[in-house]
Amino acid sequence: MIPAIVALSILATSIGFYISLKQSQNRLEQNNIVQSLFWPNPKEIVDFTTKDHNGDLFGLEQISEKWTFIFFGYTNCPDICPITMSVMTDAYQALIDEYKNIQIIFVTVDPDRDNIDKLKSYVSFFDPDIVGLYEKPTTENSLTKQIGVAHYNNKEDGKYIVDHSASIFIIDPKMRLVSKISPPHKSDEIIEKFKKIKRFIDEKS
Amino acid sequence: MKKAKSLFCILFFFLNISAIFADGHAKITISDLWISEAPASASVLVAYVKLKNNTSSPISLTNITSTSFSSIEIHRTVIKNDVATMERFSKLEIPSDSTLKLLPGDYHLMLFNPNKPLSLGDKTELIFYFSNESKILMEAEVKKRNINKSQHNH
Ligand SMILES: [Cu+2]
Repeated sequence: MIPAIVALSILATSIGFYISLKQSQNRLEQNNIVQSLFWPNPKEIVDFTTKDHNGDLFGLEQISEKWTFIFFGYTNCPDICPITMSVMTDAYQALIDEYKNIQIIFVTVDPDRDNIDKLKSYVSFFDPDIVGLYEKPTTENSLTKQIGVAHYNNKEDGKYIVDHSASIFIIDPKMRLVSKISPPHKSDEIIEKFKKIKRFIDEKS
Repeated sequence: MKKAKSLFCILFFFLNISAIFADGHAKITISDLWISEAPASASVLVAYVKLKNNTSSPISLTNITSTSFSSIEIHRTVIKNDVATMERFSKLEIPSDSTLKLLPGDYHLMLFNPNKPLSLGDKTELIFYFSNESKILMEAEVKKRNINKSQHNH
């Protein structure tokens, strides 16, 4: 009888402990989502002029009414750029059937060594749906200026390295920069974060 | 000229093997060398590898060469304040009795200007030079990159 009471009280305590742990985890998760959101004042993307990997003009119109995931990189970056692109591709392929209005964009921050043909080969390697964008980061309202970072190290050298944003940025269908996902990137986490962010934004608007 | 070069490589390879056998066991063991599959237009590829120092004193990787690339550099990807950059190293020390892992998102070998596009399953040779004067020739295969699915997958 006494062992049974002891066992029962241990069980009750652990259930109580488990519930409070879950609750604090949920609270933590809420905070994480809010932290990764640029809210309540998301930046509105202003008109920009780029060319996509087919050489067609790509501007504000092409990001309207879509959830856009943007990553800044360059094709001579063989480590972190393809790692991020593979993860984004994996997340995209998992999300696209359910959420039709999603697009993945790779913006080159190295217009001197990259060109439209290189971009085409680069993005289609991951998924034929991915958009590669060519712009001069120094032009006014370039996506790099509006959203990202690009810094060139010893550019005289043909093997120069470009410092660039490691985050994945999310633009909502109203063309507002609503969130940034920081590395290390994992596709399951991107999928979960996107669903939460979308739910949050949908509720607010 | 090219033939002479590859003949030299083969000869060099056997000399190296015999050196290892003469030694009893290798001072450095190289494993898991692979090149990540990349778009055909890529002018820089990446290789990853594990380097094991079997001795009781540190040994450095000082150079890597290959007839398939114009040059090879040792880099490390570093992310600071959400900005990614790559740092270049002229050499890499492998502490005594330990393994140095060059892995995606961390230390890696930059392979500049492949003289022909490399596709999945292709193999090419790299020569590793170490501070203890040893040289090791290893075959690298082009493999698909694993996707980082979730925190629990390694
Ligand atoms: Cu590098």
